[in-house]
Amino acid sequence: MASRSILNIRFQEKLWFFCSPGIVRRKSVLCANGVVKNVPGVQPGTGDALPDGNRLATHVPNNDTHKPQIPTAWHPCVRPEQNLTARTCYGSQIRHFATMNTHRPGPMPDYQVDPYHLLEDDLKDVYTYVRNALRRNTYQEDLYEIATYYFDGNGKAIRPMVAILMARAINYHMYKEKSGLLASQREVAMISEMIHTASLVHDDVIDQSDFRRGKPSVNVMWNHKKVTMAGDFILAVASMMIARLKNDDVTLVLSQVVSDLVQGEFMQLGSKETENERFAHYLTKTYRKTASLIANSVKSVSILAGADEELSDLTYQYGRNLGLAFQLVDDLLDFVSSSAAMGKPTAADLKLGLATAPVLFACEKYPELNPMIMRRFQEPGDVEKAFELVHKSQGLEQTQFLAKQHCSEAIRIANMFKESPYQKGLVVAADYVLNRMK
Amino acid sequence: MALSKVLLGPLALRRLLPCAIGHRQERALASSEIRFAKLAQEKKPDWNRAVSEAEKIVGYPTSFLSLRWLLSDEIANVALHLRKLVGSNHPLLKTAKGLLYNGKNNMQAWGLIVLLISKAAGHTADIPDMEQDKAAGVLHSQRALAEVTEMIRTSHLVHKGLVNLQPPNNIDPTGDMMFGNKIALLSGDYLLSNSCIELANLRNQDLVELMSSAVRDLSEAEFVGPRDKQNNPLPAKPKTNQVEYTQFTENNLEPLVVSEALGNAQAEWTLRHVLNAGSLLGKSCQGTLKLAGHSEDLQEKGYLFGKHLALAWQACLDREPFQHGSSGPFSLVCAPLMFTLQHKPELYEHIEKGMDTVDDVDYELLRKEVIDGPGLELTKNLQKEHSQAALKVLNELPASDARTALANIIAAVQES
Repeated sequence: MASRSILNIRFQEKLWFFCSPGIVRRKSVLCANGVVKNVPGVQPGTGDALPDGNRLATHVPNNDTHKPQIPTAWHPCVRPEQNLTARTCYGSQIRHFATMNTHRPGPMPDYQVDPYHLLEDDLKDVYTYVRNALRRNTYQEDLYEIATYYFDGNGKAIRPMVAILMARAINYHMYKEKSGLLASQREVAMISEMIHTASLVHDDVIDQSDFRRGKPSVNVMWNHKKVTMAGDFILAVASMMIARLKNDDVTLVLSQVVSDLVQGEFMQLGSKETENERFAHYLTKTYRKTASLIANSVKSVSILAGADEELSDLTYQYGRNLGLAFQLVDDLLDFVSSSAAMGKPTAADLKLGLATAPVLFACEKYPELNPMIMRRFQEPGDVEKAFELVHKSQGLEQTQFLAKQHCSEAIRIANMFKESPYQKGLVVAADYVLNRMK
Repeated sequence: MALSKVLLGPLALRRLLPCAIGHRQERALASSEIRFAKLAQEKKPDWNRAVSEAEKIVGYPTSFLSLRWLLSDEIANVALHLRKLVGSNHPLLKTAKGLLYNGKNNMQAWGLIVLLISKAAGHTADIPDMEQDKAAGVLHSQRALAEVTEMIRTSHLVHKGLVNLQPPNNIDPTGDMMFGNKIALLSGDYLLSNSCIELANLRNQDLVELMSSAVRDLSEAEFVGPRDKQNNPLPAKPKTNQVEYTQFTENNLEPLVVSEALGNAQAEWTLRHVLNAGSLLGKSCQGTLKLAGHSEDLQEKGYLFGKHLALAWQACLDREPFQHGSSGPFSLVCAPLMFTLQHKPELYEHIEKGMDTVDDVDYELLRKEVIDGPGLELTKNLQKEHSQAALKVLNELPASDARTALANIIAAVQES
């Protein structure tokens, strides 16, 4: 127990280390203090937000260690008397605001904002627009078909959703009612989905996965050389769209995303780092592979809104925390979700030889995981054994806990923007990321 | 500058491609480049002289294998993994060797052309001193663009060199091919992402759009016409009635129309190689003139120069496998063969044998047909046409050592 607490403090520090200087750093000290202060009473691994339905579907060898316990408070965002879920956390804040603003003209809805519902009009055409953009850039049917395979409208479109949500929230923050969504901001939302899809397409060739989003993945359907080229094609078209925004800073920010994605992929190749470096390595990789895109696309929409550096940095931090949480939950779901819900096989990461957060946490309790991590779960039985140990340990809860922390930080930042349905949407989006089932 | 080339060249090769050099040569490190130069020189004296003279004019070779690259983690990573591939049959190794040793095809030449045209055209007076590399007579931004050109081209070649492992093509029992694909794909992506960043740093959005459209064209090239299982290109069935086909829209940011060109030997060949090569070199030349602040008109001429030079180059390469004493396979979409097919459409049945894999084609039979037919002569004319078009643009620029160097390179292509 003691050693685990220390570990938690250690990665806390690592986490906050990633925050950029300025306002966020200042707050981070606060958070870190909060954690340190609360450590003696904290059962860090015992979040209660694992969806119950999922738990039934998982293989739980040891029920004792797995029972949800209500932890004490750990974060300044959360009131100590409340159960620790992001849902209750933001719920209280919405109510809080609702009472604060009763003098305002017009009704302020007290019900839960659903970002997807809120942005229905903005989001419904994203895939169509992307397909049209790709259509305009080639006369070759097979290229078009491969390039648009994942733009079928069945994705979660979480990146465009967050980008548009942030765009509208920041527009309101800066210009009040006078603010509509800029065409360029909508473009950024599309571009973020295109960059993401281009990387998915290349990932599929690298990982040789069989299914994605409930259908055969591109590498099963087409010649791998063509698939690779189609990925390049999507990236090139996205890059042309970026250039047409005619904003030097946005181009720089979005180019950084592409570079991060590739470097993240490179980091995934090797596991030569020592046990101590491993978690930092994992977090950096997670930032580069997932959070960078979300963080930098929300930063781009705020730059386009004319935000100054401090404000655009704040939006960046929101996206970064949300992105990290998103990936942490993804890594967690890989252990608990059923294939049917995810649209891809479970324990896929282990099968690919990747040690994600749940395994790294489990490793603290079961050091026998170390050699398996080093050999990338190559030997027969490794995947099953690791899977079992992760469930026996507190790894899943600890991952959930970490994800929750990032969500709380995202929510804290979202609450710094002027109140609007979209700003609330940002809060809800963080909750959605934490509690999603797929 | 010259010293840095001698020092860095072999070092870079060794670090980047430990396997391409081979065990024997690894020890004789310092001499490897000299040996390489000699070897190539015996074969094509004029070409190499033209290139090395030209390199002196713009300071040093533009190759992106510079110190900066040697120190990058990703490259070290790739080198490490490439070593594991030695002994497997993955074409990535061949691609890597080809990039470094294939005299005329080497990547440095492309960046070099971009720098030479930059110097030959000069720049407008309003560009601050800080942004100029006075010794070489080009702008720093132009040098960066030349590097981007090389990176994009290399990335494309590396991605092209993947192996198709689409099920049920189970040709990979050891997993070597899958691993090689992973490395090839990531290396190519790495180069592309670096191009993105380099371009973004130039803070010229028109240029970003132009170069991105060149990347798009390159990826489009891999979809033109029929393909075998490994995506090797085969010529489309020759059409009986030849239609005059002009494929160039005024705005080169638009994609090219493909279907109408297929089956018309010259149009199809041009389309394939504009997408494959001409677009990138053309747009790079256009872009470098944009950076120098030249008029739209001159920029467009820059595009034509690069495009025609790339096509002349390609025509020259296409003739090589038909020279006296050659043997072995050759590209089925080379100009001499495509012209011959047009002339004698019944030969297409031999091409059709390669629909599964181009290895099933009887190359010796086709070679004999090409040599006996009009294909080589027509290719020579094609090459001349493009060389002259490139020279025509060149002659509109003021006389300079860079212009002479470009003319020499064109002449070297022409003579061989």
